[in-house]
Amino acid sequence: MKTPLARTRLAALAVLTLLLAACSQDLGPEPAPGASPSETAGVQAAKGPAPAPFDTGQPVKIALVQNSGAGDYFQQWTNGARQQASALKIDMQVYDAQADNARQATDMQTAIGSGVKAIIVDHGQSDTMCPLINDALDAGIAVVIYDVEISACAPKAVETAQNDADLARLILGKMATDVGKGQPVGYVNVLGIAPLDRRHAVWEKAVAENGWDQRFFVGKFTNAVATDNAQLVDAALKATPGISAIFAPYDELTKGTVSAVRQNGREGEIKIYGVDISAADIEIMTAPGSPWVATATTDPNAIGAAVVRTTALELAKALTSREVVFPGTLVTQEFLLEKQIKNLAELRKAIPELNMTTVSTADWIPVVSF
Amino acid sequence: MADENAAGNPAGNPVARAGWREVAVRYGFIAITVALFVYFAGTEESFRQPSTLFSMLKFASVVAILGLGVTLTMVVGGLDLSVGAVAGMSVTISAMTMVIYAQVGGVAIALVLLAGALIGAVNALLIVVLKIPDLLATLASMFVVMGLKLVPVDGQSVSSGMTLRDGSLARGRFTPDFLAIDRAFLGPVPVPVVIVGVLAVATWFFLTRTRWGRLMYAVGANPEASRLAGVRVGRYRALAYVLCGVFAALGGLILASRIGQGDISAGNSLLLDAVAVALVGTSVLGLGKPNAWGTVLGAVLVGILITGLTIKGFPYYAQDIVKGLVLLLALLFSFTMSRRRSRYAPAAVI
Repeated sequence: MKTPLARTRLAALAVLTLLLAACSQDLGPEPAPGASPSETAGVQAAKGPAPAPFDTGQPVKIALVQNSGAGDYFQQWTNGARQQASALKIDMQVYDAQADNARQATDMQTAIGSGVKAIIVDHGQSDTMCPLINDALDAGIAVVIYDVEISACAPKAVETAQNDADLARLILGKMATDVGKGQPVGYVNVLGIAPLDRRHAVWEKAVAENGWDQRFFVGKFTNAVATDNAQLVDAALKATPGISAIFAPYDELTKGTVSAVRQNGREGEIKIYGVDISAADIEIMTAPGSPWVATATTDPNAIGAAVVRTTALELAKALTSREVVFPGTLVTQEFLLEKQIKNLAELRKAIPELNMTTVSTADWIPVVSF
Repeated sequence: MADENAAGNPAGNPVARAGWREVAVRYGFIAITVALFVYFAGTEESFRQPSTLFSMLKFASVVAILGLGVTLTMVVGGLDLSVGAVAGMSVTISAMTMVIYAQVGGVAIALVLLAGALIGAVNALLIVVLKIPDLLATLASMFVVMGLKLVPVDGQSVSSGMTLRDGSLARGRFTPDFLAIDRAFLGPVPVPVVIVGVLAVATWFFLTRTRWGRLMYAVGANPEASRLAGVRVGRYRALAYVLCGVFAALGGLILASRIGQGDISAGNSLLLDAVAVALVGTSVLGLGKPNAWGTVLGAVLVGILITGLTIKGFPYYAQDIVKGLVLLLALLFSFTMSRRRSRYAPAAVI
């Protein structure tokens, strides 16, 4: 009894293996060595002598206290920060709270006590972090924050952020030239999240200036933003014929919008404008007939690096402002297709200003670019 | 306690060859904890700072308190999976009381402890009266509590100045005395560490020096025998769950004070850590049964590991691997190396 059964199983397994082999993807030609996407930074050598505390030959110790270091975006951010730190001979201790706000608070305390000269706080709740940021400042430690609302409660800290208003203006300017005034448009956004609120303010202005007729406004924040918003947009599209453009200012929302528009077969009629970019986003934008025509973005690697440079300037007492914002760049579908860009490395090569090498710099800083 | 065997009495030990094994089982965990501490302190300058020691203990404090609650339920042969959810609920209740209803910190503390006891009582009802197995009942209440806490706040984190349902702004705030729970010191020691110390002594005393505690061990070891001996088994199990609910709420209060906001994601990661340290605690001192000091030591060990690995620059996923390996090692001590098999492992519960 047992043997024939085993034999049948073996045969089934063999057939399955063959089938799987036949189904394997055609990946095209292997990429040439050296052309592989690399996130290792190129370093532009420093020209001037380093000021204190960078002139001692000893590495300067700083800490990076992150709310979360997981996910594509934050990994690239941290990678950029690490590369710039090592170019500056900064010994950077990274604390990753894994999106646990209480853990970030204890991490911050550990960092304050660890004898560092500066602390970078990347995201976090202002109620949780503000008292601790002030503790650090009182202890004589420089604090540079990225995307935490602290200007009211810790005015002595240096505030850095992606310039959300600038991103929104860039992409909405493009939308205005493409679709023109007085058009019926749709809007997908979630209010109550700081960067999305800042983009929303610019949207309201653009709608008024261009006389756009906002036919629907949907969006919610969930664990599966793209999937859940695809459903919302799908329902909105079915209820509203004749839309010429949709603005969805966050790439997960944009992705959901793209799939809803495609489900309804209206990609010929509706143009979609988004914010942010990733390798997956590039693939969606350049797919045949994709309605996602343009996006405004920054490079997270470059932002991480620029935040570390800002910290270095602050330590050298060379920072002139308490606030540093990082400008965005417009990327169009047309450009991606024309240059045959398939990933972020190729995009950076084609648009070098994504590296922001002129932001927060000085002649003694070896600037990294990706 | 009564069946402590002869490791402390070598003359009476018939298997002298196995002596090293008893020593490993008894003191292995303490030795590992001390060795790790010395290693991190010796190799990392920032680990040696007193402030690092304190933030490490503070980090461990919430897990330790929840672990003590879980220990109580393990003693009666159960396991409470709702501790993390109850701690998270406490954060939301604290925030609502102070931020939305502008009450003082004392009111928030009272409400949170009451709510914790209430959830514990509901768990006890499900388990003792309605006879649902512990793991399944508390799994269900975990989900209900996690969702329930979001209803009055519409799924939003509560912070000062937020817009309420009626369009007005929340004008209250976390009061300074409430925020002091996590930030204040008693002499050189942070208050949360003091709280853990007090709770550990109280739990140890209750479990080993009172009739109630000893009977709880008896109930956990053999409920049927206990029942036949005249113990009202249901009462002891119910007591364990109510106490566990209160402990989880206390842990939540420290968490709320640390975050200073009604963070809706708070407490999510605590359940597994709390259960893990209670299990690790089972193997400490080779007792082979859940005990207060073992749990606290387990929490301290996890605190040392996480802080040390962070300072050494290990990524977060490496920390999870190490946590898992520590738990595995503890289970090896309890099940494989010890000649006395633990009767208190949760697998035996269902």
